[in-house]
Amino acid sequence: MYIAMLVILAFMLFACLVRAVKGPRVSDRIVAVNMMGTMVMVMIAALSLLLDEGFLIDICLIYAMVSFLAVIVISKVYIGVYEEERRKQADRASKNEGGVFVGDD
Amino acid sequence: MLGMIEWVRLLAGGGLLACGLGIFLIELYGVFHFKYVLNRMHAAAMGDTLGISFSLVGLMIFSGWNFTTLKMGLIVVFLWLASPVSSHLLAKLEVATNERLLENCKAYSNLEKLEKELAGKEEKAEGGKGQ
Repeated sequence: MYIAMLVILAFMLFACLVRAVKGPRVSDRIVAVNMMGTMVMVMIAALSLLLDEGFLIDICLIYAMVSFLAVIVISKVYIGVYEEERRKQADRASKNEGGVFVGDD
Repeated sequence: MLGMIEWVRLLAGGGLLACGLGIFLIELYGVFHFKYVLNRMHAAAMGDTLGISFSLVGLMIFSGWNFTTLKMGLIVVFLWLASPVSSHLLAKLEVATNERLLENCKAYSNLEKLEKELAGKEEKAEGGKGQ
């Protein structure tokens, strides 16, 4: 029964991967990877009962924390990078306008 | 007698696991069905909370009364706390970086406009019926 569940979960994981590759925006991809993380957690928990190894549950807990941390860090960093880029563009635009203005003077 | 308890355990655990897998399937359908991230997030958050709690409660029933069960419960509680936070941050990321946000979703700064629009639609529908 565990084996059947693991196989079904593996197929769903592959569908999530398809979504992550297709997703048109960055946030689509992050949502898909987050979903993959949830499914992998269920897989690890089922594997720990199948193999009768208690320590795999600890790995599952740590996996949950790491995937949460990854989502937080990636979205924070991406927002920061985007704002930096936009500020640079705005600076360049204002400098160009200033140059034109000086030339006219 | 012991056999019957084993059967009940098997049925309850298997049913809960099947419910969890079904919810993951619905989640996948929703993620492929919706067209925009802020809609997709709704389907994806469902698996994060309900799907994993069904599956892990099913596994807890199989595991029996020991320390592993407690850790599984801890995982479920942690995801209940963590999933809304990450969803909120993802929505923030989308709103902050999408310059054409209003093409994908309508925003009403005041609710009276929305009410007027909805009332207009209803009148139109009634008019259509009358004709």
